[in-house]
Amino acid sequence: MKKRLFVALVALFLACSMILSSQSGQQTAGLFEQPLLITSAGQNAEVQIAAVLAKRTGLNYTLAKLATAKDLENMKTLVLVMGTSLKGLGAAGLDMDKERERVTGLVAAAQKRNIPILCLHLGGESRRGQQTDELISEFLPLARMALVVKSGNMDGIFTRICQEKNIPLVEVEKTVDVLAPLQKAFK
Amino acid sequence: MAVLAPACSFWFLVFLFPIISCRGQRIIKEEPPADRHTPYNFIGRRGMVVAAHPLAVAAGLRMLKNGGNAVDAAIATAITLNAAEPFASGMGGGGFMVIYLAREKRATVINFREKAPRAAGPRMFKEKGEAEEEWRTSSGLAVAVPGALAGWHLALRKYGTRSFAEVAARAVEIAEQGLVVSKTFSDINKDEYERLAKNAGEGTCYLKEGLPYEPGDIFRNPDLARTLKLIALKGVDEFYRGELAGKIVASVEAKQGIMTLEDLASYEAVEVSPLQGTYKDNTIVTAPPPASGGLHLLQFLNILENWPLKKWGQNSPAYIHHLSEALRFIFADREQYLGDPDYVDIPVASLLAKDYAAAVASKILAGRPLGFYPYGKFPEKKPKQANTTHLCVMDMEGNVVSLTQSINDFFGTGIVPEGTGFLLNDHMADFSSDPQSVNAPGPGRRPVSSMGPLIMFKKGKPFLILGSPGGTRIFSSLAQIILNVTEFGMSIDEAIEAPRFFSYSSEGKPRPIFVESRLPQSTIQELLKMGHEVEVREAYDKYFGGAQGIMVAGKKKVILGGADSRRDGSGAGY
Repeated sequence: MKKRLFVALVALFLACSMILSSQSGQQTAGLFEQPLLITSAGQNAEVQIAAVLAKRTGLNYTLAKLATAKDLENMKTLVLVMGTSLKGLGAAGLDMDKERERVTGLVAAAQKRNIPILCLHLGGESRRGQQTDELISEFLPLARMALVVKSGNMDGIFTRICQEKNIPLVEVEKTVDVLAPLQKAFK
Repeated sequence: MAVLAPACSFWFLVFLFPIISCRGQRIIKEEPPADRHTPYNFIGRRGMVVAAHPLAVAAGLRMLKNGGNAVDAAIATAITLNAAEPFASGMGGGGFMVIYLAREKRATVINFREKAPRAAGPRMFKEKGEAEEEWRTSSGLAVAVPGALAGWHLALRKYGTRSFAEVAARAVEIAEQGLVVSKTFSDINKDEYERLAKNAGEGTCYLKEGLPYEPGDIFRNPDLARTLKLIALKGVDEFYRGELAGKIVASVEAKQGIMTLEDLASYEAVEVSPLQGTYKDNTIVTAPPPASGGLHLLQFLNILENWPLKKWGQNSPAYIHHLSEALRFIFADREQYLGDPDYVDIPVASLLAKDYAAAVASKILAGRPLGFYPYGKFPEKKPKQANTTHLCVMDMEGNVVSLTQSINDFFGTGIVPEGTGFLLNDHMADFSSDPQSVNAPGPGRRPVSSMGPLIMFKKGKPFLILGSPGGTRIFSSLAQIILNVTEFGMSIDEAIEAPRFFSYSSEGKPRPIFVESRLPQSTIQELLKMGHEVEVREAYDKYFGGAQGIMVAGKKKVILGGADSRRDGSGAGY
């Protein structure tokens, strides 16, 4: 019985360690403050999932699919959900150039106001491709932390950029596994 | 299970298969290739089923092996798709099926396309202003009166041999026991998350604890199983006039829809004569309007008859240029003429005249886009996914079914009548937003559909059975598959897996040529040099459809099945 309890405690400790630390051992707890603004880079469907995850973790968030600099008013964190969806772009009446322009303006405004950026990639392997990779290369280096579903990092693009820029990276197996590290990332 | 063959050309199979058979090796036990995109023909001698999900294929094959005919197997497959591929079709939607009765040497069509509620009017969406698109796809107003059950029932009653309970049995089992979620299911589930969460709620079975399913999860739908059992017990009237009808209307009303119990009670699937045309020596029968896919396919092939396609080569710059230009002319006609034939006069014979096609072909320039296309009023549509689903069945008597069914967008409106487990369509979105259009919404009208299930005959016998989802790309994709087989000698699955392209016109101007990224860069550069705008999509993109096909090869009647790897297509012969 005692042995089982010990094993369970060790497992719990390891799980907590994984949540609190990134792959490289960097601290990922309490890096961000609320309220947070959630938007996508690429008009993907996962931005809505990110909002539900934020709701479930009890975070004070605002979802704005077409957020611009003025939406950062009173915000303390910008969450960028990465991934290009041609369907999403079409529905929003945007093309990639316009979307990149929007996100660039938003990120620049966030930096000017010292609002840190949390990058999420929840779409896995299917939400990769040239256009998504361009967004990742452009905006991920500006993040304070990245949280990704593992299958979206099979080629190590997130690992490479995060290592180069010394950005804490947390990988999870499934979308639902984002809940714990997301909660811990906020004060 | 099926006889399986590796990637090999059609002619190789035609000559080799009889030899293999003579040596007593009729069944080649071979595992499918690890890469699902590698062309792979399912082979049978007596019967074949191809569909968008392996469980649906197995249900159809079981029906054939148990003595059911092609119609029984097709309906079993169609109902099982409701359980196994619920995001693309189901009893909350509608479709078309082409049936060939071998003994009578006769083809017929069952039109089970949805109808607009009687309170529908031409301005019903326009007056919503900026929110129009949302109302057209994600509200109760988007739901047209479903026709699938009436269509399945009519086909079974007239041409089948089994009861609804028998053909629905496997679907009930799957809905109860569950199935392993594929990557395709998961990806689509994520893409349509917002609509599902909004209209079905986070507690729906179409989400896993309020979040999208991941590959490998188990998806169960016990409500659907109960609904199917109820219909098996009480009959199809239960859906159109009974307890289920009440639940459908309540769920539509709750989302600001206008469908009534009278709309459901008055719905009827209808049997109609097929539309017929030719490509060179081949005869094609397909569904007539309001299905537009077959009509446009025949128009397209008529134009292509005027050009040396074989000389240009498959997917060569000249080939893609000419076909894209032809597509742009056809889309101009589509906007000008296509509506519900019960309410508008469609000049079908004129559109299908060979001299009209020759006139269009003569306008197309060899080295550059024309730049202007008569009747170019085709409104620019926002990109949509492939949605819809297609299945083909051939039985040992030679009877054939080519069936396309849909709930329009993936997961339809996302509305699930309480406790029923099925999704309601958003086919009202297929009406034009222009109140003056021949395809404007109106009471009891059927919206124009892009579906085009077809059977192609060679010397009077079924040679190619084909269809695809893919919205407005359907007929373009089907034509490319037909050309791959007839002009370039490919086997059915090679033809299906080959890279595709698409274009159309908008307000008289050419739209880009959309191509799969597998096309050589040199071809894309050549098209750009000609003056085309080119938009490169994924290597195997669902945007271009998910075709399923059967090809009958040689005098020994080798039946080849091809299923599209752009979705979870599968097949089985025996």
